[in-house]
Amino acid sequence: MKRLLQNHIVVPGPSRRRFYGHGIPNVELDQLAGKLIVVEGADGSGRSTQIALLVEWLEGCGHATVQVGLKRSTLVSEELENAQEGNILSRTTLSLFYATDFADQLENIILPALKAGFVVLADRYIYTLMARDMVRGMDEAWLKNLYGIALEPDAVFYLNVAPEELVQRSFAKNSALDYWESGMDLGLSRDMFDSFMKYQVLMQKTFRHLQTTYGFTIVDGLRSADALNADLRKKISAVLAGK
Amino acid sequence: MKTFAELNFPGRLIAVEGLDGSGKSTQIYLLKRWLELQGLKVYFSEWNSSELVKAATSKAKKRELLTPTTFSLIHATDFADRYERHLVPLLRAGYLVLCDRYIFTAFARDVVRGCPPEWVRGIYNFAALPDLTFFFKADLQVSLQRILDGRPLLKYFEAGMDLRLSTDPYESFRIFQGRILEQYLAMSTEFSFLGIDANELVEKQQGIIRELLAQRLNLTDFRRAERPLPARRPQRPPPAQVLISNREEAVE
Repeated sequence: MKRLLQNHIVVPGPSRRRFYGHGIPNVELDQLAGKLIVVEGADGSGRSTQIALLVEWLEGCGHATVQVGLKRSTLVSEELENAQEGNILSRTTLSLFYATDFADQLENIILPALKAGFVVLADRYIYTLMARDMVRGMDEAWLKNLYGIALEPDAVFYLNVAPEELVQRSFAKNSALDYWESGMDLGLSRDMFDSFMKYQVLMQKTFRHLQTTYGFTIVDGLRSADALNADLRKKISAVLAGK
Repeated sequence: MKTFAELNFPGRLIAVEGLDGSGKSTQIYLLKRWLELQGLKVYFSEWNSSELVKAATSKAKKRELLTPTTFSLIHATDFADRYERHLVPLLRAGYLVLCDRYIFTAFARDVVRGCPPEWVRGIYNFAALPDLTFFFKADLQVSLQRILDGRPLLKYFEAGMDLRLSTDPYESFRIFQGRILEQYLAMSTEFSFLGIDANELVEKQQGIIRELLAQRLNLTDFRRAERPLPARRPQRPPPAQVLISNREEAVE
């Protein structure tokens, strides 16, 4: 019996699927057999490390995986990168450009993969996009309508790391702070360090606000990568088992 | 949603809408010339023309990569860029802004493509309404003929081929345009379109448009400010002479 259990591959049960709003036209939700798992968090919160570990584990358990992330669409990722480089897009334009990138990946990668029964791991989802825009003064109701195209994931984990730790991790990795991750376009402070700290605090506040609507799971990102991953595996196992 | 006048902008936005081939671009061009020749502050903006977004749009269209949702979003991105960087600042500066197609084009097209109307309208609700919207109403057959006569090669999205209405591009175009016309007509009252009979002669239409504009707007409000004359410089030999002598040489 014990041996049997070890080789046993968990066949995920059906998910109760819904779009957050109007959704994508002509999608049959009950055909989306796979699972959509989202990992959210600031740069330096350990998202990519965690996703890499999860992929290894999931594949070992017999699940096929696909990864998506922001600014990775064939449609506009290149143009978006170019436009952002010059910092010339105004906020609504940038917001819609990112929404286009998201929609392209949703329709061409996420939905087909779910239909084929894959576990889709998303390195950030609409919440980061919404939070960034809200911090820049965009209307929340407008954003909710815009991202009403998004499919509700099976699980969303927000890796919570304090700005003080994020700044240390960023320096350890690149010896520099990123312009956008420091919110320099907002004019919070001319000092990049100050701006980074203020911006990250604003982002965390906004995430906490979004959490009340979208109910994602906030996990402590300050633990070791392995301890954190063990926690995520436990939670994802429950999702796969249909709990 | 409010118009720019209702939002107390000094400028005014005038939009033209209608099917491809309804003659709206010709009419807005003639309107622009008339306003410019009166020394008014005029700016013209065309649908789908933002430099920043163009690269993405044209690639996407060539490779037929767009779904109804991304088609809608990429055009909204283009519109937002023009709106925030050009239209709004110019309207703040008291310009007459002429738009060849405005949000109603998206309301009609995207809905025909299957996007939920409330979603599309919600996305564009950052934009104020035009102060005047001219809707060019031609018989469907006339519009179709104008396009089909002049440009026999229909582009994929233009013909609505993505909707799988017909495998024949011409037939697809006919059905697609017919559905867009229905959408336009359905919102005509809601958005106070000023209907122009596009079956009329060019001059007659233009006469009506100019008259309506002069009635509704106080055009002298949009005059270019008289610039102070530049300080007089000591006279130099007029360059015109050089030009004339050059020209004579060229003739020889």
